[in-house]
Amino acid sequence: MVGRRGRALLALSVALAACGWLLGAEAQEPGAPAAGMRRRRRLQQEDGISFEYHRYPELREALVSVWLQCTAISRIYTVGRSFEGRELLVIELSDNPGVHEPGEPEFKYIGNMHGNEAVGRELLIFLAQYLCNEYQKGNETIVNLIHNTRIHIMPSLNPDGFEKAASQPGELKDWFVGRSNAQGIDLNRNFPDLDRIVYVNEKEGGPNNHLLKNLKKIVDQNTKLAPETKAVIHWIMDIPFVLSANLHGGDLVANYPYDETRSGSAHEYSSCPDDAIFKSVARAYSSFNPAMSDSNRPPCRKNDDDSSFVDGTTNGGAWYSVPGGMQDFNYLSSNCFEITVELSCEKFPPEESLKNYWEDNKNSLISYLEQIHRGVKGFVRDLQGNPIANATISVEGIDHDITSAKDGDYWRLLVPGNYKLTASAPGYLAITKKVAVPYSPAVGVDFELESFSERKEEEKEELMEWWKMMSETLNF
Amino acid sequence: MGFLWTGTWILVLVLHSTPIQAFPTLGGSQDKSLHNRELSAERPLNEQIAEAEADKIKKTYPPENKPGDSNYSFVDNLNLLKAITEKEKTEKERQSVRSSSFDNKLNVEDVDSTKNRKLIDDYDSTKSGLDHKFQDDPDGLHQLDGTPLTAEDIVHKIATRIYEENDRGVFDKIVSKLLNLGLITESQAHTLEDEVAEALQKLISKEANNYEEELNKSTSRTENQAGKIPEKVTPMAAIQDGFNNGENDETVSNTLTLTNGLERRTKTYGEDNFEELQYFPNFYALLKSIDSEKEAKEKETLITIMKTLIDFVKMMVKYGTISPEEGVSYLVPSEKSHEETDSTKEEAAKMEKEYGTLKDSTKDDSSNPGGKTDEPKGKTEAYLEAIRKNIEWLKKHDKKGNKEDYDLSKMRDFINQQADAYVEKGILDKEEADAIKRIYSSL
Repeated sequence: MVGRRGRALLALSVALAACGWLLGAEAQEPGAPAAGMRRRRRLQQEDGISFEYHRYPELREALVSVWLQCTAISRIYTVGRSFEGRELLVIELSDNPGVHEPGEPEFKYIGNMHGNEAVGRELLIFLAQYLCNEYQKGNETIVNLIHNTRIHIMPSLNPDGFEKAASQPGELKDWFVGRSNAQGIDLNRNFPDLDRIVYVNEKEGGPNNHLLKNLKKIVDQNTKLAPETKAVIHWIMDIPFVLSANLHGGDLVANYPYDETRSGSAHEYSSCPDDAIFKSVARAYSSFNPAMSDSNRPPCRKNDDDSSFVDGTTNGGAWYSVPGGMQDFNYLSSNCFEITVELSCEKFPPEESLKNYWEDNKNSLISYLEQIHRGVKGFVRDLQGNPIANATISVEGIDHDITSAKDGDYWRLLVPGNYKLTASAPGYLAITKKVAVPYSPAVGVDFELESFSERKEEEKEELMEWWKMMSETLNF
Repeated sequence: MGFLWTGTWILVLVLHSTPIQAFPTLGGSQDKSLHNRELSAERPLNEQIAEAEADKIKKTYPPENKPGDSNYSFVDNLNLLKAITEKEKTEKERQSVRSSSFDNKLNVEDVDSTKNRKLIDDYDSTKSGLDHKFQDDPDGLHQLDGTPLTAEDIVHKIATRIYEENDRGVFDKIVSKLLNLGLITESQAHTLEDEVAEALQKLISKEANNYEEELNKSTSRTENQAGKIPEKVTPMAAIQDGFNNGENDETVSNTLTLTNGLERRTKTYGEDNFEELQYFPNFYALLKSIDSEKEAKEKETLITIMKTLIDFVKMMVKYGTISPEEGVSYLVPSEKSHEETDSTKEEAAKMEKEYGTLKDSTKDDSSNPGGKTDEPKGKTEAYLEAIRKNIEWLKKHDKKGNKEDYDLSKMRDFINQQADAYVEKGILDKEEADAIKRIYSSL
C-alpha cells in the first residue's frame, strides 16, 4: 500500500518538480532583463554558435563543445598560462590533429591580445564551431581546408585583460580598461623589437630573417617579457607557422608589416621585402568584409587619419608606428607572415552586434585561411631522399629568406609571377630553379641537394675514370 | 701529365669548395640619423584619450526593459519548485522510503510551510477560482484557499508564464530537458501539441473575456470543451500571431491537430489515453502498477501529469522552438527498433543521472563566481548535443565496413585518454571529464 502510493507520489513529484525545475532554470538568469535577453538569445543562436560574449569558463566550454562534436578533426591544447593563471587555450583543426603532416602548412589566428578588444575573441570561437559544423555538413571548401592545413585558433591571448574589460558594468566599455595584461603590460609592445635590428642590418649588412636564433635563451631569461608573450614566442618557435593573423579592435582595417617606421617618425610607409604578398593577403581579408573594404566608409572617429587605408588595408608604419609588436616579430624571427586585423570601430561593442560582426567577417576569415595555399611549396632533401631541415630558400628579387622545417618541407608565399628559387644548406651545393607562380594553388617544387662530400666523391670518380681512359688510350 | 692532372684536381676542388651564399642587399635610406632616431612608440596618448571622450559623449545608453512584477511571484514559485526538485533527485537515487520522508523534505526545503503535495481529486472542478487566483498568488505552491496545487494548476501556471512573456525560450529548455530526463518520446510529440495549445488558448480567452466566463467554465470539464470550440478560432489566431515564427505550414497543421485534440479532450480518460501513455515507459510502468480500483484518483492524476508534460513538449515543437527530431534524438529516433529503444532508455536514464551528478557537483564549485545555477545544465546540454553530433557523423562516415561496435570502443578509449590528458593540462575539469567518459561508456 505504502509502496504503491509512494511510487505514485514519486512520479507526481518528479514530474512536478521537473516542470518546476525547468521553469526555475529559466527564471534564474541573472544580470539581464529576463524576457528580452532570452528572446535575444533565442534569436542569436545558430547551429551551436551562440552569439554572446564568452567569459573564460564559457570560452573553455565552447572549445570543449567543438572538440566533443568534432573529435576526429580537432584537439585542444594550451601554450601556457596568463599571469593570473588562465590557460592560453588553442583549438587545432586538421585531419590529423596533434600531428604535423609533412608538407601541410600551419596557420594560426590569435585574438584578444588587447583584452578589451573583444570582437576577435568571439569571432574565433564562432569560427571554431563553424568550421566543425561545416566540415560535418560536407562543405567542400572547409573540408579541403581542414584536410590540407593545420589550423590553430587561439581566441584569447590576454584572458586576464578580457575579464577586467568584461567586468565593467553597463554596456559602455572604457577605451583602456583591460587592454594590457594583468601586469599592466601592453602585449603588442612587449615583443623583442627586431625591426630595429633589421633596420640597422639594412644599412650595415646582416640578415633580416630568423633574427631570434641566438636569442632563445635571452627570451627565457628576460624578465620584462610577460608570460603571455613568452608563451607565444615559444609557440612560434615550435611550430613552423606559415601564415597568421592577429585580431584587434578599435578600427576597421587589415594592417601589414612593417609596423615600425624606419626613421622613427610617427607615420611613414615602411615596406618590408614581401610588401607585394602582404598587400595581397591583407586584401584577401578586407575585400570580403563589406564595411572594411568600403572606400566611402567614414573613419571610425571624426578626426581619424585613415589616409593610409587602401581597399581596407594599410601598411603598419604608414598608419602609425608600433614597436615591439607581435606581427613584425613573426616575420623577422620565423617563417610566419602575419597581419593585424582591426575588426571594429568599437573595441567592446554590445553583445547584440556580435552576430553582425560574424556575418561581416566569416567570409574574410575563410578567405584569409585559403591564402596559405599560394606561392611555392615543397621539400628540400638530400640525394638519398632524407629531409634537410633548416635549409634556406631564397627568392631572387625578394630580400627575405625562409627556411625548411623538420621534414624538409617549406612554403614560400608569393604573388603571381616568374621567380628563381634557390635552396641551400651548409655543406650542400645550392640549386636554383625557375618557377612560374599563379595566383593559387601553390606550385610544388622539390630540391635534391648534393652535399660537398658527395660531390667530392663524384669528382674523384670522374677523375679516376678519366685517368683510366687516358692511361688505356695512351698506354701507360 | 701528372701536373695537368693535379692542376685540374686543384682547380676542381677550389671551384667546388666555395659555397654559394646569398647576401642580403642593403635597402633603406643611408641617412645617419637612423642611429639617433627617436621612436614615437605609439599613437599619442592624448589623441587616444580625446577620441575616447568624444565617443563617450556621442553614445547613448539604451534603457533595458524590466520584467513585469507578476513575474516575480513566478520566480519565487520556481525557486521553490527547483529546490524541491534537487532534493527529490538525490532522494530518488538513494531509493529511500518515499512518502513520509518526501513530505518531510518538502517541509524542510520550503520557505513557506507548504502543504502536503499529494494529489487532490478535484482537478476537474477547481478551475473555477484557480486561474484567476493563481495570478495573484505570491506563493507558488498553494492557492489562496490553502489547497495544494494540482498538476492542472502547474499547466496553467506555465501557460500563463509563456503567455506573459511571449517567449519561446521557456519552451526550449523545458523540452530539451524533458527529453533528456527520459520523460517523453517523439511519437508523442504531435499529440502533445494540442494539449499545450489548449492550455494557452484557455488562458488567452480568459484574459480576453471577463471573469464571468471563468465562472461559467467551472462546470465539468467536458462542458468546458464544448463551449470553447466556437471560440477556438480567435484565440488560436492570437496564439499563432504571438508565437508563430513565420512557418505557415506548421500553422495549418497545428490548427488541424488542435481540432483533433479538442475532440479527444471531450472523452473521459479511458483506455485511449492509457494506451498512448505506454510510449512513456517510466510512467506506463507506474500506471500499470497502480491498482485501478483502489487508487483510481492517483492513476488519473498520474495520467494528468503525463499529459501535462506532454503538453509542454508539444507546445514547443508546435511553435518551432525545437524540431521533434532535434529534441527527441536524445532518446529514441523513430526508425530505431524495439531493441535499440531499450538501450537508449538506458542511455536516457544515464543521462538523467549525468544531469543530476553534474548539477550537484558544479554547485559545489565555489570558484565559479558567476554562480548561475542553470549554467551547468546549459553546459551539459551543450556537451551532450556535441557528443550526439559527433556520434552521428562518425556513424555516417564509418560505413567502409568497420563495425559500429568496433569504432565505438575505439572512440571510447580515445576519449578516455584525451579526457584524462585534458584534465592534466587544465583544459577540462575532473567532473567534466568523468561525465564525458560516462556518457561515452553508456553508448
